[in-house]
Amino acid sequence: MIELDVVGAGAWSHHFGNWQDLALGLSGKGWREDVKLAPGLLTPAVRRRAPVSVKMAIEVMKQACDMASLDPRELATVYCSAMGDMQITDYICQTLAQNPELLSPTQFHNSVHNAATGYWTIATNAHSPATAISAYTYSASMAFFEAAIQAADEDLPVLLVTEEVQAPPALRFACPTNAPFAAAMILAPVSENLPAIARLGIETRAETVKWMGHSGLPDQLVNIPSANLLSVIATLAESQSLQEPRRVRLPLSPGTHVDISVTASAASRRYHA
Amino acid sequence: MKLVISAYTATCAAGTGLSALQDSIIQRRSGLRPNDFPGCELITWIGRVASVEDVALPEGVASLQSRNNQLAWLGLQQDDFLEAVRAALQRVGSSRMGVVLGTSTSSIGRTEEAYTKLDSSGLMHRDFLQPEVHNLHSPGLFVARALGIQGPSMTISTACSSSAKVFATAARWVSSGLVDAVLVGGVDSLCLSVLYGFNSLELVSSNPCRPFDSARDGISIGEAAGYALLTRPEMFPSTSFALLGYGESCDAHHMSHPHPEGKGAVLAMRRALVRAGLDASAIDYVNLHGTASKVNDQIETHAMEQVFTAPVHASSTKGWTGHTLGAAGILEAIITLEGMRHDLIPGTLNCEQPDAEFGFPILAENRTARLQVGMSNSFGFGGNNASLVFGRNDD
Repeated sequence: MIELDVVGAGAWSHHFGNWQDLALGLSGKGWREDVKLAPGLLTPAVRRRAPVSVKMAIEVMKQACDMASLDPRELATVYCSAMGDMQITDYICQTLAQNPELLSPTQFHNSVHNAATGYWTIATNAHSPATAISAYTYSASMAFFEAAIQAADEDLPVLLVTEEVQAPPALRFACPTNAPFAAAMILAPVSENLPAIARLGIETRAETVKWMGHSGLPDQLVNIPSANLLSVIATLAESQSLQEPRRVRLPLSPGTHVDISVTASAASRRYHA
Repeated sequence: MKLVISAYTATCAAGTGLSALQDSIIQRRSGLRPNDFPGCELITWIGRVASVEDVALPEGVASLQSRNNQLAWLGLQQDDFLEAVRAALQRVGSSRMGVVLGTSTSSIGRTEEAYTKLDSSGLMHRDFLQPEVHNLHSPGLFVARALGIQGPSMTISTACSSSAKVFATAARWVSSGLVDAVLVGGVDSLCLSVLYGFNSLELVSSNPCRPFDSARDGISIGEAAGYALLTRPEMFPSTSFALLGYGESCDAHHMSHPHPEGKGAVLAMRRALVRAGLDASAIDYVNLHGTASKVNDQIETHAMEQVFTAPVHASSTKGWTGHTLGAAGILEAIITLEGMRHDLIPGTLNCEQPDAEFGFPILAENRTARLQVGMSNSFGFGGNNASLVFGRNDD
């Protein structure tokens, strides 16, 4: 069993601008409309070149670090998205089909799956390790597990970020996201010094489980592979008002899952919406 | 915890399977050829694997048709690797083996093709409606399904460090108790995205790449599939080689230009040495990233000077294979292991005159030597770095 604290969280979509908005929405208190991305860490020149996928990820990563009062340079990063930046894939494939010599070098270097972590570590001057993964429908749970293992193994906080961009028409059949979203959380070794949102007890089991949906999520985020992490976040939000531990099970593969017990911590009441 | 490498295989332009690859190395015969990739008009040299297009996918995975998956399957069939995996699956059970592959292209070549045949509504033609192909995790999905592996499977995509980082993840998975064995590796295939993409960044040479040469002027893009099976030592005690250490870092500098002092590269190498419990002087050979870009090679020698105060045999093998991007990590890890297996260090093919500005010596010729410990480095776009240390499993 790995024990870790969630010490910071971030979230963004058109319906929630941060974790507190997400918690409010999940508890039935309504969703916002048309939330815009904040300018954030990127300089105006870099912002102009950066795609939405990078801007969203940086927004939620910054929120999580600010909430935890942690310097990004002290954190390793685990990024996931099931499909990568589909908008850029669409641009690249369209351009290649019409006029390949016109392919934009900026768009090309933005197409690497680790673009968001690249821009993030550049903006924050962080030399700690970063990874970018996909496991298609298991992306969010595998990323969660990877982050948990790294935190336990290296005894360091790990910043986990998951996101998905809006699908272009040609790729909707593979992943029908109608709107972009991103979420982040920081998993840290248990410590008395860092106030936590919740404490997690994490174990893997050789047993098939199904995805836990969450009826409170906005319609457009239901059944999106990377949004499956939001069931963990939803449980974090709910645990604020409950005394007993909650349990979330995330499938890792057809035959295995990760079992997460979520307990509110004493310090967490300050995050209660 | 030390993991042993109980089987491995590699397929690239310099050879399909280890024996062909070793032959190319001994004969100093490059696998690069003038660009003949269909649909690509660029004047350049590429590392194209022979006959990928002729590979037929087995029935159970025929729906995952893509050139990348054809290359993945071709690679799996070499060097009795399939048999080794099946034997390990029998021992540990299919849910107790994981799959961690690295890729940068995945099957985007298939997506490129699909976009030339979109229907009038801009949607994909029926033949291309393959959700498990048009996504980054396609190689992992393919390999797991082709081999009946039911344990967790994940794809790492961090540009050129992708299939080196897989070793670090595998070590963590086994040590956590999640699985008993991990099939690691990487598959990247030639496609218009990488050819035109790197060309747009003016990083591609119009001649065969010349790593560390004073006249080097860019990379040659290649494709490859490589795999290794990692397990705890007690499972395969007589295995020759082990993963002794790994180190990962970021440059925090620029998306397509390395840190000018090689800071991230130095960190990754030092972290790998610390994890291996070794001093730099214990390394007998370093397989360098050495892409033949003007900038990478110069900065890499500077990073080497900082970590290796005494000389060490170091070479880049991209003159044989091209830069295989997401598959470079696994391919070059395997080339390092083969060097240890054959007591033969590959030199730096196509390096005739190492750049006089380098403060670090580059091995150009092949060299016979008994190697106890080897290091393989991969430094990627976005400043993502990985360093691996391998040793003989004879403690």
